[in-house]
Amino acid sequence: MSSTDLTFPVLLLLALPFLAFGAIAGMGSFLRASVGWVAAAFTAAGLGLSLLLFLSPESVQMQYDWIRLGPYVLTLSLRVDSLAGIMLLLVHAVALLVQVYSIAYMHDDPNRSRYFAFLQLFIFSMLGILLSGSLLLMYIFWELVGLSSYLLIGFWHHKPRAVWAAKKAFILNRIGDAAFLTGILLLLHHTGTTDFTALPSALSVLSPGLLTAIGLCLFGGCVGKSAQFPLSAWLPDAMEGPTPVSALIHAATMVAAGIFLLARISFLLTPTAQVVIACIGTITMLHGAWLALRAWDIKRVLAYSTISQLGLMVVAVGLGSWQTAMFHLLTHAFFKAGLFLSAGSVIHALHPTETQTNFDPQNMRTMGGLRTVMPRTFWCFVICAAALSGLPLLSGFLSKDAIFLAAFASTASLGSVAYVFAALAILAAGLTAYYMTRQVWLIFFGKKRYSAASVHPHESPALMWIPMAILAVGTLFFWYSSNPFEAESGWLFRVLQYAPDVHSVWVPMVSVAVTVSGIGFAWQKATGTRNFLADAGEDESPNWRLLAQQIFNRLRLLAEHSEETQQHIFFLGPLQKIARACAYIENRGIDTLVNRLSRYMVVVAHVLSWADRYLTDGGVRAVSYSVRGAGAVVRQFQNGKIQSYFLVTFVSVLLLLLWVLVI
Amino acid sequence: MREHLLTLLIFLPLTGALLALVWPAHRSRNLRLLTLSICLLEVVLSGFLYTNFDFSTGRYPYSELYDWITLPLGSLGTVSIDYALAVDGISLPLVLLATSIMLVGAISSWTITARPKAYFALYLLLSGTVVGCFLAQDFFLFYLFFEFMLLPMYFLIGLWGGPRREYAAIKFFVYTFLGSLLILIVMIGLYLSAIDPLETARAAGWLLAGELPSEGLISKVQQALAQGVLLPEQLVHTFRFEYLADPANYLPDAWLNPISGIFLGETSVRVLAFWLLFAGFAVKLPVVPVHTWLPDAHVEAPTPISVVLAGILLKIGGYGFIRIVHGFFPNEALDSSVPLAILAMISIVYGGFNALAQYDLKKMIAYSSISHMGFVLLGIAALTAEGLNGAIYQMVSHGVLSAMLFLLAGVLSDRTHNRQIDHYRGLIGRMPRYTVLTGIAFFASLGLPGFSGFVGELFTLMGAFRAGQIPIWIPAVSTVGIVLAAAYFLWTLQRMFFGEFWYRKSEDAALLTDLSPREMSLLMVLALATLLLGLFPNTVFSITGPTVQAWLDSLN
Repeated sequence: MSSTDLTFPVLLLLALPFLAFGAIAGMGSFLRASVGWVAAAFTAAGLGLSLLLFLSPESVQMQYDWIRLGPYVLTLSLRVDSLAGIMLLLVHAVALLVQVYSIAYMHDDPNRSRYFAFLQLFIFSMLGILLSGSLLLMYIFWELVGLSSYLLIGFWHHKPRAVWAAKKAFILNRIGDAAFLTGILLLLHHTGTTDFTALPSALSVLSPGLLTAIGLCLFGGCVGKSAQFPLSAWLPDAMEGPTPVSALIHAATMVAAGIFLLARISFLLTPTAQVVIACIGTITMLHGAWLALRAWDIKRVLAYSTISQLGLMVVAVGLGSWQTAMFHLLTHAFFKAGLFLSAGSVIHALHPTETQTNFDPQNMRTMGGLRTVMPRTFWCFVICAAALSGLPLLSGFLSKDAIFLAAFASTASLGSVAYVFAALAILAAGLTAYYMTRQVWLIFFGKKRYSAASVHPHESPALMWIPMAILAVGTLFFWYSSNPFEAESGWLFRVLQYAPDVHSVWVPMVSVAVTVSGIGFAWQKATGTRNFLADAGEDESPNWRLLAQQIFNRLRLLAEHSEETQQHIFFLGPLQKIARACAYIENRGIDTLVNRLSRYMVVVAHVLSWADRYLTDGGVRAVSYSVRGAGAVVRQFQNGKIQSYFLVTFVSVLLLLLWVLVI
Repeated sequence: MREHLLTLLIFLPLTGALLALVWPAHRSRNLRLLTLSICLLEVVLSGFLYTNFDFSTGRYPYSELYDWITLPLGSLGTVSIDYALAVDGISLPLVLLATSIMLVGAISSWTITARPKAYFALYLLLSGTVVGCFLAQDFFLFYLFFEFMLLPMYFLIGLWGGPRREYAAIKFFVYTFLGSLLILIVMIGLYLSAIDPLETARAAGWLLAGELPSEGLISKVQQALAQGVLLPEQLVHTFRFEYLADPANYLPDAWLNPISGIFLGETSVRVLAFWLLFAGFAVKLPVVPVHTWLPDAHVEAPTPISVVLAGILLKIGGYGFIRIVHGFFPNEALDSSVPLAILAMISIVYGGFNALAQYDLKKMIAYSSISHMGFVLLGIAALTAEGLNGAIYQMVSHGVLSAMLFLLAGVLSDRTHNRQIDHYRGLIGRMPRYTVLTGIAFFASLGLPGFSGFVGELFTLMGAFRAGQIPIWIPAVSTVGIVLAAAYFLWTLQRMFFGEFWYRKSEDAALLTDLSPREMSLLMVLALATLLLGLFPNTVFSITGPTVQAWLDSLN
């Protein structure tokens, strides 16, 4: 098939969700309950098309001259290659499942049609990012994705927190985008193009320092969208949106756009830029994992975990192996979407009756024992959690293992510092296993902690659990590789033309050991006397009273430590302390910093505004007063007395004469 | 008619203004129909301008030129003021913008009931002078229109404005008037320094009346001028743009001669003149720190006047930079790029911060205007093709968007006479259509791709990045303005429109009704315009591109 034959399918692929958006926005009230099915049908068609594109052997490139300024032409180009093909399949597949799920999840929401319209708008913008052939076009869709994320986080616009979170997400993303745009403009200035095909040859004119700067500026876009340190604070708050949205946008697809961007621009990252990226990724990975250790909101745990996993992917890119990052992106999308949908199922089940409004269905303190009530949800959740933790036979193991191997392989280019990254990545994997076990235990095991009077948990309808089940099945190893312990033989690396040159038996063994011990420690803690619920009083954002109590508890803990088991002292004790410190940094540090920064921004704005009013404006007023003063002086001459008029005239004539005579 | 289209564009509204003055008082309600039809006709006429525009040369093929005032002053030479009109790629987008925004303003003036005769007469006068500003090719004529614009504006703010209208009107007047004084000084200086070579040839007897100028005549006169052969009585001084822009037309010993360069102490007189002229137009744009008239004028002005003020009048500042300041002082402009770009950066960031601190919706929009017009200055300071085209594009884009924003603010003040942001919450519950259109306007203004704001910012920034003389940190810091724009627009959206409905004066809550069909259609058209401009920016760039390129080539 020649590439021209594919022009139409590519355009159609992009047009489908936009048409759906228009149709649903325009005829939403007419479609009523079937609106979700219409949306899902459009996405299903898109899935078919993207499968066709993926299977066609050639890559497509098309161009459109957007702006002509004499000799200068700004071209927008679309591009479909294997990388985009994989992502197209992924986005469509997850979007389709999430929309089917949403039909049931949102069935009694009066604004359903707006919801599905926004989802289609999101799919349109996301596909735009994937199909972009140049950074400029990608930036355009990048911003549109930001818009649809804003609209969907703030979907329940009557909830002040949701609107606040939407705004926060957009602004933090904008900070990253400003850097992204600066990078694009620098590239345009120095090379004249941002086209992915033309760039590699055009880069030779750039000095390494400049290239590093450009790479880091572009990475800024990823920091915003993929919630990397220090712009990560928006992602947990984005959980205010509907849960299927969290699954699709804030776990599986949009947040992965940053990784996709890095994969696209991997050729221009200099070693210096790579190390910086790997460091940021490492900080994000550990920071996210530690925060997940002590979150109590079912969705926030998953959100922190997403931050941590995105950090891992960024580390992989930083270590020069974007293919493994893409692999983890792919597997993560499936099991994280599955986890979110299962969490949504739990939230849906725990929704209190109208009379009791103070019950929080997302609080894991008041769950427990749901295993027997919702067995399907339980199994889906557990399988996806196991995949996330990296247990063998599941996809997460394969992709994480590939990243660990790549990290060790990168010692060849980066030197021994790469061992640190690899070790920290394995540590983060252990933490992941720990917090996921904690979450599974808190939700599904133990005694039930909700009051039965108002809450009647039940298994979710088929429309909800079937998508969950599909995603759970999608985490099995054989979809990705015939060998459950090695990803190398899988189709993905073949498609991406990646052949890892390091083989190791002990890396998977160590990582499995760390994972299993993470689960083990968590299980021991869960079944022990001081289980997770003992810390249940601690909130994520303590007020001063809770803080005082915490300090007291901490002092008591110090005294008790001598009697604790050894593992508590050497592993979990310090761990939880670091976790607390991290939460402290997050809440008191970064979050407060961001909040303070925004507050200071307003303060600065007010100070400037004050200066504007009294200094700048005051200066102007001083001038006007002095003019008025001069006017008053002049006015004195016009006092109606003939004598003074005469005086003025006389003096003037005298001066005039003087001027004429002298000059 | 095509030959006199330009004159028609100016004098149609002026005739309308006279007509309004003699309109029978008991029929004065019909005046709004008259104004509306004249503005509509203006749009159609400027549409002809567009269809007849020659895209390859970047000119409207018919210009108009008449001797207006010729006054021989003996040894002081001859004063020559011409009635010269023309349209090129720089002015055409702004003329189209001006007539369209005037139409929008006329529609939104529908509700004006106080003293309609005076109002519509002044409005039509304003309309004519604004168009005149963009068409004039003679500095004196331009200055005449420029000054005449102040008069209707002063009264429109001072008589139909809000509670502090007198203060705002006088502030507006004093500011702009001081600005135009600076322009006047330089204008006289330029006039004394340059001659009209053709008229001079006539005065010298080298060209007989009725004879067509031969090929090398102009350069012959210019050579004679440079050698000092011409007698003072033979010199015909001129205000014509095309002659002022050519260094060869300057007297060898003139103060503003580009080559000889006379110094006052350490500074060249030309540099001084450049900054005076810059300051004059900077008031209009406005550039921080001479911007403080703008928020007051906007807050007090009635809605249609705010629309016109932000939509067109600010653009005359930017137009003046390109045509006059940078047109006559290109080398000085190039040398001053860095301070100009820094001023632009300060305007962008400072305006953005101030917008963030406002509690009054109109004031917030006014400060956002300052921030957005900073991008115009940034593009102009760059003196690159991208920057200049981007600056013109940004002016058009901001014209549409600010018109939309002030109309939206007007919707609220029409209903409750209260524009305090923190007095409202959850307007989406009461006014869903209003909320959607506000959302579109806000997102378009904060530079969402697909709408026009993005292209303007992209190109002005790109121009600044590509300008060799401007250090890269200036445009890089300017991108903070983009972040700030998101912050103040979305914060306003959050505070006013989302959440549960609440209004401070709960007894007046019933006044908050959704958009009327008139408001709705007007806003929809503007939203469509910004969308189309954003998707197909080449509609503007194809007009401006050739002219800007020719202009840049003439500099080198």
